[in-house]
Amino acid sequence: MRKRTMRVLISTGHLGTAPSSPDSFRRGMETDPDYVVADAGSSDPGPVYLGEDMQLGLFAREELELFLTASRQRGIPLIIGSAGDSGSNRAVDLFVGMIKEIAGQHRIPRFKVGHFYSEVAKSFLKQRLARGAQLAGLGGFPALDEEEIDRATRIVAVAGIHPFVKLLDMGADVIIGGRCGDINFTAAPCIRAGFPEALAYHMGKMIECASLVAEPFMGKETVIGTISHDDIKITPYHPDQRCTIASVAGHSMYERENPYYEHTLGGTLDMRACRYEQYDERTCRITGAQWFPSAQLRVKIEGARKVGERYMGFVGVRDPHIVQHIDAAIEWCRGSVARRFAHERYELYFHVFGKNGVMGELEPVKEIRGHELGIVVEGLADTAELAEKLTDYAVRMFFLARIPGVKGTAGTAATTKKTMRSSPGYVWNVNHTVPIDDPLELFPVHLVEAGV
Amino acid sequence: MGKARLSELATTIRSKNAGVNQITFDVIFPDRETYRRVVRSQVLTRASVARYFGIPPERISDFVEFDVANAIKFTLYRLRPGGSPGDWDILGCQQYGPLLEIEVD
Repeated sequence: MRKRTMRVLISTGHLGTAPSSPDSFRRGMETDPDYVVADAGSSDPGPVYLGEDMQLGLFAREELELFLTASRQRGIPLIIGSAGDSGSNRAVDLFVGMIKEIAGQHRIPRFKVGHFYSEVAKSFLKQRLARGAQLAGLGGFPALDEEEIDRATRIVAVAGIHPFVKLLDMGADVIIGGRCGDINFTAAPCIRAGFPEALAYHMGKMIECASLVAEPFMGKETVIGTISHDDIKITPYHPDQRCTIASVAGHSMYERENPYYEHTLGGTLDMRACRYEQYDERTCRITGAQWFPSAQLRVKIEGARKVGERYMGFVGVRDPHIVQHIDAAIEWCRGSVARRFAHERYELYFHVFGKNGVMGELEPVKEIRGHELGIVVEGLADTAELAEKLTDYAVRMFFLARIPGVKGTAGTAATTKKTMRSSPGYVWNVNHTVPIDDPLELFPVHLVEAGV
Repeated sequence: MGKARLSELATTIRSKNAGVNQITFDVIFPDRETYRRVVRSQVLTRASVARYFGIPPERISDFVEFDVANAIKFTLYRLRPGGSPGDWDILGCQQYGPLLEIEVD
């Protein structure tokens, strides 16, 4: 029988960064939702996680333990997207391994774990180029060429609903997804159950950050999205939160270029005609989204290129004369490094907190209003040894900066610890779309068993 | 009605990444009247925002008066993608500060 409504529970906007609040999660679970979902990744924390294939979220295991034990106890399917922040193949395997381990520890009865990968072989992209395909840039990136493909350390494709639907069809009770769009792990079960695509994708959009859709501002609290054939409703489960027209309409424009369109593999969600109503004290009802399937399937790809190894040093300045002449001090450091390392390839940045350390070139306040400055010196080079040497040298030169009129002659900057190693530097160099023939083409699916 | 600062009129003023190469700003007002007042005042337009951040208008990729949310939203291109060496606001979430001080008639 066709279901009249379906309810999807979510308790975190980014699985693993900090644990979900247990109370609202438990309260939500007690209402027996149809699915529990979570997003475990994002491109927001920068390219280093994909490039180095490393983990940002240190609470992933705790979260998976909470979600898996609670959902298995009630026989509710669990769907996780973008495993391990980047959605790399290693991260998918890591999460599947955690699921198996937790299932064993808790002696959870046998169940099926579906997973899919999303890393893209460079040879695939080059073949597409050779066939004359345009690898169009997003967000102002120029079209992708073979040289830039080769410079990427790792590339993932961003999945649509398709591998999730496929794995549910195969009988998965738990799904660990590679990189995917954050609306798709919610939309997939709804569309599979026959609910309208427009409403399903829109519900995915509205609940992907869990309680950030509600007010007042609270993170990591549970919300449940309810889809019917006519509308979606969003309800928070923290007793002090409400989904209001203002909070929900406000969230509909969160972290996207414009509030009207959301593109994903397979089509575009058009929210221009959406209507928001207060359904009850805590619940907002939304209608009116439209879904336009794309004429050509284009999948988004993301890739990171390594710039070099990186060190950081810290200095402080209190002398008001140096504070006012900080640009001259930085020029002195830059010049010294340029002379000393004239034949090396490197990058050097000075982040001046108290001047424009946060906003850089966008900072409209030009004069320095504070009585002291903190400066982070960031240096990159091909080897860690050189990166350390030149960053440390830049810090020393700050200490020895030659600024006319300085009264203090014992040192022009306060320094502290040893120059510290940071993560390697990466840049996003792939932020493009590529045409594909089949929406599952880049996302091979697998099913394994876990539990006892 | 005297002058007011945007921080006194808006309920939410925020910035955040929108994809890897853009930062988007949302200024949300409590009601239609306040929203219309700010729209009418023209303190937030494509041109004024570009001037405010000291960037050419081409760097503003989107500018929307979003009636349903009583909100003004605009998006600009970063100089380099988020998280690149030299970037100190990977999430783009601390770029809205100067907007609080804008004066509205």
